[in-house]
Amino acid sequence: MEPDFVPTTSFVDFPEDVQLCILSFLTPPEIANFSCTSKRFVALCRSDAKLWHALCDRRWGSKTQIRKWGDGKICYRLLYKTLSEWESLIGFWRRSGQRSTSAAAAASAAPPPPPLVVFDWGPSFVAGSRVSPSQDGTYGVVKSPFLWMSLSPGGEPVNFVDPDGKGGEFGANYSVDSIGKTDLIPVDVNFMGCTHLVVEENMGLGGNSHRNGFRRSSSSANLCSDEEEASGGENGTFGSLPDRYMSEMYQHFANRTSPGGSSASRRQKKREKERQGKRRWEPEHFVKIVDCSPTPSRPLQGLWKGIGDCTKLEFYLVTYDEIGGIACRRVGEPADRFSGCAPVFWTSKATFIEPPFSQEEMIMYDSRMLLHPIDEENSMFGELPMENEPVTRILYINSSYDLLIPDLAGTTATDRRNEGRIWQYRDGTFGFGFLRDNFIIDLKHIAPNGCLLH
Amino acid sequence: MATSRKVTLLSSDGESFEVEQSVAVESITIKDSIEEGSAGNPIPVPKVNSKILAKVIEYCKKHVESAKAEDRVDDEDLVAWDADFVKVDQATLFDLIRAANFLNIKSLLDLTCQTVADMIKGKTPEEKRKTFTIRNDFTPEEEEEVRRENQWAFE
Repeated sequence: MEPDFVPTTSFVDFPEDVQLCILSFLTPPEIANFSCTSKRFVALCRSDAKLWHALCDRRWGSKTQIRKWGDGKICYRLLYKTLSEWESLIGFWRRSGQRSTSAAAAASAAPPPPPLVVFDWGPSFVAGSRVSPSQDGTYGVVKSPFLWMSLSPGGEPVNFVDPDGKGGEFGANYSVDSIGKTDLIPVDVNFMGCTHLVVEENMGLGGNSHRNGFRRSSSSANLCSDEEEASGGENGTFGSLPDRYMSEMYQHFANRTSPGGSSASRRQKKREKERQGKRRWEPEHFVKIVDCSPTPSRPLQGLWKGIGDCTKLEFYLVTYDEIGGIACRRVGEPADRFSGCAPVFWTSKATFIEPPFSQEEMIMYDSRMLLHPIDEENSMFGELPMENEPVTRILYINSSYDLLIPDLAGTTATDRRNEGRIWQYRDGTFGFGFLRDNFIIDLKHIAPNGCLLH
Repeated sequence: MATSRKVTLLSSDGESFEVEQSVAVESITIKDSIEEGSAGNPIPVPKVNSKILAKVIEYCKKHVESAKAEDRVDDEDLVAWDADFVKVDQATLFDLIRAANFLNIKSLLDLTCQTVADMIKGKTPEEKRKTFTIRNDFTPEEEEEVRRENQWAFE
């Protein structure tokens, strides 16, 4: 039995890359703490290319190509800071708020963009894509990238919108230099807390400067974005006011006696107005969809897709409230009770009925027809499935907010207040339907196993 | 069939271990030397003694078996097994790290390094020095200065 003695190898004897491997599992504050132990570790912990790269690689190396960000020249400490913030973007968001009523919006006859958006990691950027149901009658989903967020070698955010989505997949050919030659619109992406995002056109670079490529200089004092409100977002707190405010202030003081002001300031005002009018892209607000997936205690929660009444594929969001109720809405419809927009279905008590089911329930279910995609190639007409999918559990639901008499709610199965049913299947998906018709609408996961495309 | 071939590994203190080739090639170092044809049989593993080599082989065997099983539920069991595997004294842990590094077994290296990182967390610098026998070459003033500088550098 060997006695306990001082280990023959110690931390300092490890090769440097092993030391870095160990340190890469720590958070920055813990590393700060560790670096106080000895001089050699101060140097190691401050080394950007080694330590900070290892930290970035540990956290995001499997999701993005660390060495490609900022054209491979970026300071990794800055990259770590930015990616820690941008990480909260990944996932599903929905557009919120009214479109602005500016002339440009009213004039355009284009339909509003789809409400559902997903953010993904790219090799050297984060991409935002609009998600819409494919119109081909299947459960397929179309993903159109429209927002591209990356970093310059200096560590400043470089964000663009591709308004027409012509770019297709954002490839490696998108770089700072190629911007000037395309129709991409520079935007600012501002976080308000972790769940609210505003994407606005960056007018501060000048509406026309995109044709000349980028004029970003390292002296950030000149670089201000033309924002309506000082949102103090992550994107450039440069410490000076936007140009527009500065020029207005000067004009105010300069023109106190002469109403029209000098011709120079008149020209500047005109230019400002022109720049405002040349806004090519309306600001969009997004709210994060937390709880996108079911959990064992909330099996119906999350984002789903289903073929609804009009045989079109739609997206639904099922949320649980604090008192055990569930509500399902189409994505993009406002959630508050006074919006006049009724939920697709809801219940105040999400308690399932377990088998064995009553004869009545089984008849009700078996006699229904599943609304399924009209698939031209493999037409199922005349070949309807003999039986519907086996049901593991049933839930009573309602479809309107009509006044409920509390005593009657949730009593017997024949209670007419329960206007509909949810039938949960073995694989965790479910279908729902109402007593007023004979259909079942099946809902499937929007992103099974994290993969969006069906 | 290549997968049922066996190879013999020779530890630094002369002990032989016969293992399946599929297990041995969890080590990229061994895999490369087999592919290059430069490995003798038995394959010598310098710097790694029999006690550590036995543990490394145990780790590789378990992970190769788990990869074959298609049931993803085994993932949780594997995580628990890994956690138990690293419940060893510090000397053994450090030796495992050196072995994993030399033999180039990334998952074992990550596992053992994470374990050491967990030991670092939550300790004051002085406690860390003690645990890892790091010699303090700061004067008290220097140490205070480093602490202050780090505060903004690592915020």
